[in-house]
Amino acid sequence: MRARHGDVPLDRDASGRYLPWLVAVMVYLAGLALVCAMIMNRAVAHWEQGLTGQLTIQVPRDEAAHPARAAPAKLERLIEMLRRTPGVRDAQEMTPDEIGRLLEPWLGTAARSANLPVPALIAVTLESRAEIDMDALAARVAEAMPGAVLDDHQAWIGRLRDLARSVQLVAALVVALVGGCAVMIVVFATRMGLSVHGHVIELLHLIGALDSYVARQFQAQALKLALRGGVFGLLAAVATVVLVERTLAGTKTMILPDISIRPLEISLLALLPVIIALIAMLTARLTVLRTLGRMP
Amino acid sequence: MVRFEDVALRYGTGPDVLRRVSFHLEPGSFHFMAGPSGAGKSSLLSLIYLATRPSEGNLRLFGRDVATLARRDAALMRRQIGVVFQDFRLLNHLTALENVALPLKVGGQRNEKVRRHVAELLAWVGLAEHLDSYPPTLSGGQKQRVAIARAVVGRPRLLLADEPTGNVDDRMAVRLLYLFEELNKLGTTIVIATHNESLVARFEHPVLRMGEGDVRIERARPPGAARPGEGSAA
Repeated sequence: MRARHGDVPLDRDASGRYLPWLVAVMVYLAGLALVCAMIMNRAVAHWEQGLTGQLTIQVPRDEAAHPARAAPAKLERLIEMLRRTPGVRDAQEMTPDEIGRLLEPWLGTAARSANLPVPALIAVTLESRAEIDMDALAARVAEAMPGAVLDDHQAWIGRLRDLARSVQLVAALVVALVGGCAVMIVVFATRMGLSVHGHVIELLHLIGALDSYVARQFQAQALKLALRGGVFGLLAAVATVVLVERTLAGTKTMILPDISIRPLEISLLALLPVIIALIAMLTARLTVLRTLGRMP
Repeated sequence: MVRFEDVALRYGTGPDVLRRVSFHLEPGSFHFMAGPSGAGKSSLLSLIYLATRPSEGNLRLFGRDVATLARRDAALMRRQIGVVFQDFRLLNHLTALENVALPLKVGGQRNEKVRRHVAELLAWVGLAEHLDSYPPTLSGGQKQRVAIARAVVGRPRLLLADEPTGNVDDRMAVRLLYLFEELNKLGTTIVIATHNESLVARFEHPVLRMGEGDVRIERARPPGAARPGEGSAA
């Protein structure tokens, strides 16, 4: 025998109308925060991977002899010295076209054609797992070509890592706040339900219902409403990300990270409404048991 | 089964509703509870079905002191007590059948057998056509019969009824009392609070006579004899 309604008519409460919407908004915000953290994480990994095993040496131009570029002889000697260095696989002077491509994300397509006063760049590729004393190498580079600067990109990678950590921290904070808000809303809705349906609960007790029986009514309702709202919020968050991805698709550059969501990330995001619904269910149960337990 | 020893009851800081009440109901007994309005009949019943606890004195149910009952034990004990409330206390969002089945559901039974059993019981109290009716659509008498069916559906060891015939005609009242007598023959201890003295007079059962916050027991009327009007003092 299956009742059309629960023994406690919670489905007719005001909380049945507003709780799913509140949970939807919370899951939407938490979902976006998590997506940001995932995208940032992926971007840092991508940038880090691209820069690992690479060194760049900036060589100042020889203003007196060659206003447009560094002194060729010195440059050749420096490159030879680098190639002979243990752990270095290759060293090449970057062509103006390659330098233009590097500058393009910041300066636009004009960077390629313009005769910009940029230093010469030597791209150094390291052997995999090469252990090079960067301080010693920097000193040798400075000795071979005064004014040349060795850049192992660690400062840039470090800043990216800091940025990623900050974004992850904010995302975790948002998710924690959302969880906290969900708990508070469910506690409030449950207490309101206990108050509104006091006469029903009293009757259930009088015919022998345990507190856990009453709690099951509330927890089932909280689970249903939170899951409904959570799924809606998650779909809205995914739709927003897809919309942003499509909007930015035409303006893809090296700086902007890949906005798309991967299948694994979607399955992680799908846990969000489930977790929020479980939190809501547990909160409702504990609230009912605690409130009824205080009664004589 | 039910033992009151110098039990007093007051609500908050108000006056005593019951004063030093003492009596004992044997298992399988059948008692009417009579007295004027405000004499404390409903309060006495609420003590027995554990809705309130004594302010003073000792109350034992099924051999256990209710003062020391844990919350869970009190709930389990209530499953052995069927109650017909004066105001019925039906749940308006559930059908008559669902209302009657509630004690069985609360007790963990939920199957087609329950539905059949409940439907038969409702048919017995004349509500076969109203299984799926909601209480607001039922008359006072019909609601009362649903409430009675709910009280007896779980075959309780103790049945308490507060004015169970107040909203039904005499024929149905007698029929319902016969139902209570049948249950009594099966071993259920029965206490029926009523102000219907003519109904009390038709049945040969002792009466818990309430008055001024105390209780005395009038013995069962011997066949053909007038009710003597005496009993054990409270």
